[in-house]
Amino acid sequence: MTKNRDDTDNKALWLKNYWEGRLRDADFTTLSGQEVEPLYTPDHLADFDPDRDLGYPGQYPYTRGVHASMYRGRLWTKRQFAGMGTAEQTNQRFHFLLEKGQTGLSVAFDNPTLYGRDSDHPLSLGEVGKTGVAVDTLADMEIVFDRIPLGDVSTSMTINAPAAWIFAMFLATAEKQGIPFDRIRGTLQNDILKEFIAQKEWIFPPEPHLRLITDLMAFCSEQVPQYNTISISGYHIREAGSTAAQELAFTLADGFTYVEKAVAAGLDVDSFAPRLSFFFNSHLDFFEEIAKLRAARRIWARHLREKYGARNPRSWLCRFHVQTAGCSLTAQQPENNIVRTALEALAAVLGGCQSLHTNSMDEALALPSEKAVEIALRTQQVIAFESGVTNIADPLGGSYFIETLTNRMEEQAEEYFSKLERLGGMVAAIEQGFPQKEITRSAYEYQKAISRGTKYHIGVNHFINEQEKLEIPVLEIDENVEPDQLRRLTEVRRDRDTNAVQLRLEALKKSAAGRDNLIPPLLECVRVYASVGEITDSLIKVFGTYREPPFY
Amino acid sequence: MSGKKIKVVLAKPGLDGHDRGVKVIARSLVEHGMEVVYLGLQQTPEAIVNAAIEEDADVIGLSVLSGSHMTQFKRVRELMLEHGIGDRLLTGGGIIPDKDRDRLVELGIGRLFGPGADIDEIANYIKEWAESRSAGTAET
Amino acid sequence: MNTQPSRVLSPELWEQFRQGSRIACARLVSLLENRPDLHPEIRHRLFPLQRGAVRIGITGPPGVGKSTVTSALTRQARVAGHTLAVIAVDPTSPFSGGAFLGDRIRMQDHIGDPGVFIRSLASRDGHGGLSPATPYAAEVFDAFGMDWILIETVGVGQAELDVLNCVDIVILVLQPGTGDIIQALKAGIMEAGDIFLINKADQPGVDMVLDSLRFIFQMDAHRPGYVPPPLLTAAAHTGTGMSEVFETVEQVIAKFRREGRLREKRRQRLEQDIREYIQQELWHRYLQLTDAQPEITRVARELTDSGRSPFPYIEQLKSRIRMERNHDQES
Repeated sequence: MTKNRDDTDNKALWLKNYWEGRLRDADFTTLSGQEVEPLYTPDHLADFDPDRDLGYPGQYPYTRGVHASMYRGRLWTKRQFAGMGTAEQTNQRFHFLLEKGQTGLSVAFDNPTLYGRDSDHPLSLGEVGKTGVAVDTLADMEIVFDRIPLGDVSTSMTINAPAAWIFAMFLATAEKQGIPFDRIRGTLQNDILKEFIAQKEWIFPPEPHLRLITDLMAFCSEQVPQYNTISISGYHIREAGSTAAQELAFTLADGFTYVEKAVAAGLDVDSFAPRLSFFFNSHLDFFEEIAKLRAARRIWARHLREKYGARNPRSWLCRFHVQTAGCSLTAQQPENNIVRTALEALAAVLGGCQSLHTNSMDEALALPSEKAVEIALRTQQVIAFESGVTNIADPLGGSYFIETLTNRMEEQAEEYFSKLERLGGMVAAIEQGFPQKEITRSAYEYQKAISRGTKYHIGVNHFINEQEKLEIPVLEIDENVEPDQLRRLTEVRRDRDTNAVQLRLEALKKSAAGRDNLIPPLLECVRVYASVGEITDSLIKVFGTYREPPFY
Repeated sequence: MSGKKIKVVLAKPGLDGHDRGVKVIARSLVEHGMEVVYLGLQQTPEAIVNAAIEEDADVIGLSVLSGSHMTQFKRVRELMLEHGIGDRLLTGGGIIPDKDRDRLVELGIGRLFGPGADIDEIANYIKEWAESRSAGTAET
Repeated sequence: MNTQPSRVLSPELWEQFRQGSRIACARLVSLLENRPDLHPEIRHRLFPLQRGAVRIGITGPPGVGKSTVTSALTRQARVAGHTLAVIAVDPTSPFSGGAFLGDRIRMQDHIGDPGVFIRSLASRDGHGGLSPATPYAAEVFDAFGMDWILIETVGVGQAELDVLNCVDIVILVLQPGTGDIIQALKAGIMEAGDIFLINKADQPGVDMVLDSLRFIFQMDAHRPGYVPPPLLTAAAHTGTGMSEVFETVEQVIAKFRREGRLREKRRQRLEQDIREYIQQELWHRYLQLTDAQPEITRVARELTDSGRSPFPYIEQLKSRIRMERNHDQES
């Protein structure tokens, strides 16, 4: 592009006027603390090559979207995640949703289950059935999916550390219903690396967890080919306080690690990569989020094709679910959260998401009310049907600012990839506390900026309503859930074949000490009603436990 | 030479991995010159009080976001009294309903910080508590 | 020495300490950390209570798993019936004076065991190395009745050297892939290890570390009577190899005791102790006699500006000290 003299003069004049004019005393950086210039011009895109850096929607490197028609073809899926009490209540809720025409189910588990603990473990006290359903044995899973046609619905499960044996229980339930494995569809979160980095729900050291993930990928490639075995998640990394670039970099690096482990275990990259999907956060800084999502697609495509040699174009696709940022919500003036969520949801859509969860305005304080859940869903519908943004693919593509930000996101991610490589890869970096420290530092910097008032959180550090009395509603807890669950666990333990349980747990330990795929012995254990906690304890004997390095 | 530093034991009781808040507070207290013993995740009340005794901590800070704050704070306070360290400060944060907060304060628990609390305010609260305590007991 | 017993050191505190109160034990450690003026009184009273606990330093480069080794060794020692104190040192921030003490995280298997007492110390003005209170804390735990005192350093530079002065035995922990570090350490710390432990031995590269250590030991083989130190491998996080580590520690203790080396270490420590108190006392007296600190600061500034040698001033000071001493003797 040649530049004429007039333009150069005009730019100089603009800069002169800019500096001579009055500027507000404000922080002109992004939410993540990135410097932003007052104006972006063609000069910022001197090296920009639309063919190389953008392509077309549905074409490599997918910066503009994973489908040719984007939202003209199909809108994103409005997927709202929710958890509830007992196995019976969960089952009733599922039947209700299916009757209303929903075709996908999503299971939330309680804290003890997420940590692979039984309901009668000392640490489970007061936590049973609180944030989701308690699953101790196959008996619970049978109730959760009682009369649910597992061959016809897709079933997502948000579980990570004990994902392999919870999934084994799910498979055993399908078996009892007479559903062949190859008809089962759904998604397992199963992303242990982000647990070590951010959400901190693990059982063993990283390596045995990674082996379980690879075993599951291998098993499913052959026997459960329609099930997405992993959803690589940046959401929790962001909620733990990372910047947008850190969320992007660490999530994709996690993804690369899973790819490398599976390839090292002898799987062909194109045999599993098409079923990898992602889960990102959408925070308040509008353009930064859009740039992050666009960069994610481009980086994933480039690495999968160039570095990992994937040949199937579906392996190159970074398909993702987005959830608006829970950490951006405030307990103060909760109605403002509707506006925040709307902005975040719009950014997710402009960033080309495949599915979206919008938070409810009262989620900073309690489980959402029905009214709040409805507003959250309506927010998505207003964006989808009223705003007009769905008429066009990647509407911000070509913007000097957005393209510059997207490039910068990619550069920052690549810098992190090199750093991680120097540390010996993601697992070694986690063991040294590197991503954890980076995130904690970002969280602290942000909190200091809030404390100083240079960053705004309306109603918290600016525009505070002095009259507002912060009322935190008391959680309605069904006191019967815990004793009921404990009773069922006792009954199952009494009625099962104890000898068979012991034999199969021993066999599991033996396989764990060797190199066999662990999914078949796990299936053997759950079929005879070995509990989640018993399997956890047996594997701990072989794999050991893990405490993260101390750092802050 | 050294001189007295405020020593704080920070912990997350129960099954709850959300440690963003407690890590930010740890960093902030260190920057305010305190010595912070971080116990990490999944701590039992017994382990927390045991650590406070061995570390001769002035302050115990708990972060509870799983909704089990009543069980956790109450039990830690009971154990502190039982083991003879009821003179130390028990404080913390989380999403704690007003009604529960009032009941906990009645049990002798210090200020509890909710969502959006200022990090410097927390450090200053601990410093003020420590000053008033050493003014009361002289020569410690 | 302060003849007036301090109010914080009440007879009740000592009584509780003797009866095994962990609160009193922890309080004495804090007083040794915070109140140098009370050191003589506290240490004097601890002396008759001490029974000669063995002090074991656990040191090595950062990230080799010292805390995990400490924890695993503690487990073994407990099974054998020993009581233990663990002192874990973390660095003080030079900017804020605060410190992040995180090592308890990895010692959690011993919570609630009355035979184990864990204490974190910030390095304070130990210049990033060991806390100055570390040897005193060890005396408290000895007097409290602990058999072993494990002292775990932060694993950077100065701390390794400091720890040598206050322990009986040093376990130097390394891991596969630390070949370069061995080269760097060779000069100082390598001679200090009484037991060499390659941790994380379930990771590849163990043989390489073993080979380079054996090579280094061989360089000393010509020295008369030289016996290379025990060289062990373990995976402390699963406990593999740790019973051998424990047995070796017991053997080394027995050997050192037989050879009188524990006694000799104690004598060295006492000598250093006495020397330090004298140095401190003389310095304090000197400061009292003249207005020395401001003068030294002023002279140093002048010398910096002028670029002149400090030795004439030092000579002048020496003669002033001689004069003061004569004056003292006369009066």
